[in-house]
Amino acid sequence: MSAGALLLVDDEPQIVRALTPALTAGGYTVQVALTGGAALASLAAEPADAVILDLGLPDMDGKDVIRHIREWSDAPIIVLSARDVESEKVEALDAGADDYVNKPVGVPELLARIRASLRGRERRFSSQAIVEVGDLVVDFARRHVTVEGEPTHLTPREYDLVRVLARHAGRVVTHKQLIAAVWGPGAQVDAQFVRVLVGQVRQKLEAEPSAPRFLRTEPGLGYRLVGADDGT
Amino acid sequence: MALDERTTRDRWGVLRRSPLLRYLAVVPIVGLFAAVGEVFYRLTGSSRLSSIFLAGVFLAAFSLGSGPGYASAALAFLVYLYLVDPRFEFSFGGPEDFNAMMLFLAVAVLTSTLAGRMRGETERAQARRKLADTLLAATQEFSASSDELEIRRCLAEHLARAARADAVVRDGGRTLSSSKAPAPPAVQELFGQAEIRAQAGARETQDLDGWRIRGLWAGSQFLGVAGWRMSGGASPPDELTVIDALIDTGAAAISRARLAAAKTEAETRARTEDLRNALLSSISHDLRTPLASIMASASSLKEFGGAFDEETRRDLSTTIEEEAQRLDAFVANLLNMTRLEAGALTIDRSPFEVQESVERVMSRRGIGDRLTPGPGESWRAIALGDAMLFEQALGNVVDNALRYGGPRCGLAVQSCVVGSHVDVTVMDEGPGVAPGDEERIFEKFYRGQPAPRTAGTGLGLSIVRGLMRAMGGDALAANRRHGSGLVVTLRLEAAT
Repeated sequence: MSAGALLLVDDEPQIVRALTPALTAGGYTVQVALTGGAALASLAAEPADAVILDLGLPDMDGKDVIRHIREWSDAPIIVLSARDVESEKVEALDAGADDYVNKPVGVPELLARIRASLRGRERRFSSQAIVEVGDLVVDFARRHVTVEGEPTHLTPREYDLVRVLARHAGRVVTHKQLIAAVWGPGAQVDAQFVRVLVGQVRQKLEAEPSAPRFLRTEPGLGYRLVGADDGT
Repeated sequence: MALDERTTRDRWGVLRRSPLLRYLAVVPIVGLFAAVGEVFYRLTGSSRLSSIFLAGVFLAAFSLGSGPGYASAALAFLVYLYLVDPRFEFSFGGPEDFNAMMLFLAVAVLTSTLAGRMRGETERAQARRKLADTLLAATQEFSASSDELEIRRCLAEHLARAARADAVVRDGGRTLSSSKAPAPPAVQELFGQAEIRAQAGARETQDLDGWRIRGLWAGSQFLGVAGWRMSGGASPPDELTVIDALIDTGAAAISRARLAAAKTEAETRARTEDLRNALLSSISHDLRTPLASIMASASSLKEFGGAFDEETRRDLSTTIEEEAQRLDAFVANLLNMTRLEAGALTIDRSPFEVQESVERVMSRRGIGDRLTPGPGESWRAIALGDAMLFEQALGNVVDNALRYGGPRCGLAVQSCVVGSHVDVTVMDEGPGVAPGDEERIFEKFYRGQPAPRTAGTGLGLSIVRGLMRAMGGDALAANRRHGSGLVVTLRLEAAT
């Protein structure tokens, strides 16, 4: 049985050629699109469970592809991006991408990210009441966070931060998205506030706040609560 | 006419400047008219000479000003009184004579006043016009130049002309003088002090050691100081107005020149930055794409090697090999470009068989069948150059043709001997080049339109030309005469 249908969007035929066998061996059925237009057409004809998208496409900006997809589809989008264009990554994530992978990427890492994204999607849509990451348990119904069974007292703002990260566990949440979720959409808050808040939360949740196990920093992008299977 | 006026004015200039001389000049004028009166008296016996003396008073007042005018009136009155009946006596013949003499005196004084005022007005109008001309000329010269130093020099000259004395403009360490010789150290130091004071906020004119010095300000921007030597007393107010206007205009012009220079510099920097970014992003793309393919293929083989069938495994291995070759070619190109730019490419020019190189380049790309035989004995052509570098150049041209024409497009490579040259032409069926861009495609970062993103760095053909020229040859491009497509010719000197 197929683990899911993937749409691979990249204009470099050799990369498509190199990735397809591994993705197929990983249990996915793979559709390929070489342009943004082809990707949108393919997605409209045959929905995919996840999209792997190269940002540099010949016909349109990868970020526009994301925006178009997000108009009518919630399929997880994993961005393939070059390491040196940090701002592009942030824009792609803000536009609605779920995760990013730096090029060049090893197949195991890419497969892990695809699995995490597919799980994250289930989590979001199953309106799961509890998220467990190792010893960390976030109970959304009771607004309750425990570490190793011990309840932790969080301020409302700190809880909001943990809730957003837990809802997207395993995926990057950008500064902008965190600010919108914690302070409200359109709030004029500096990323520095997010850093301070994250610091406070780490003091309460992490055994060693300077070497966080759960709440990882994604330099220049935002934060990630490690996924259930790639933590510890 | 204007010239005459100036010489006349110069001739009278000495008189105008010294008050004593002006008053002394009254004597000969009155004397001259007295002589005319005396002659008239002797000839006609008429003692009605007042109009002759009045003419003298008018002339003196008009040419020398009101003061000398009054003096001439008084003198003329005395001489007139002395000459008429009773002759050679300062006395009146009767009450009627007394009335006539008094009337003469009144008219003479009035004439002096009017004529003097008229003269003053004329003089002032002339001065104003001259100052306006000075200002206009300076403004024109300022706006004609965008070089700050030139404007400063210009300001010093015009300031000197307006103040009729030496003038100096200073900014930072540079002192410009209106005279040919540089300003003496003492003056330089004086201006240095004034500059420090002006920069500290002293906006008013500073009088230092015979120099008047003002700060050059454009709004709140301090641009140095300008000053002129005071020659004998204060300058008239009109002149000061013009000097002030000159300094302000000059400051504005300097500020404008600085802005223009800053703008040019910023533009240059932005262009350099653009080039660097283009280079970096294309290098990063061209290095990373093969690397990404290699990484994905290799990690796939490691992870799923056992699960893949034989064909897939071979596919992935082939990808690794091809991409590694691509990477190698790209690195070689980068190295050559760097060496070409640094002038460090050493060329070993020796005879080599062109056809052999061409065949090697084609078969390495698996397109050996697209070679077209050249005319006659061309296949035996031997050229002077470095076979390795030539193959690199030809490889770039062929890759370019495949890239723009598509891998399946028609492609013909032919070598032939033309006079003392060996030409290798690569003809594709791609879109060709926009007319007029035949030379530009050899420029760095030029990319054909529409440039596919995969088209690479835009370095390939610039390296081709660099390599060919370094070997004493050249690279040329033209559109095909029939149908669409590009013809690139690589030319080398034939070995004899």
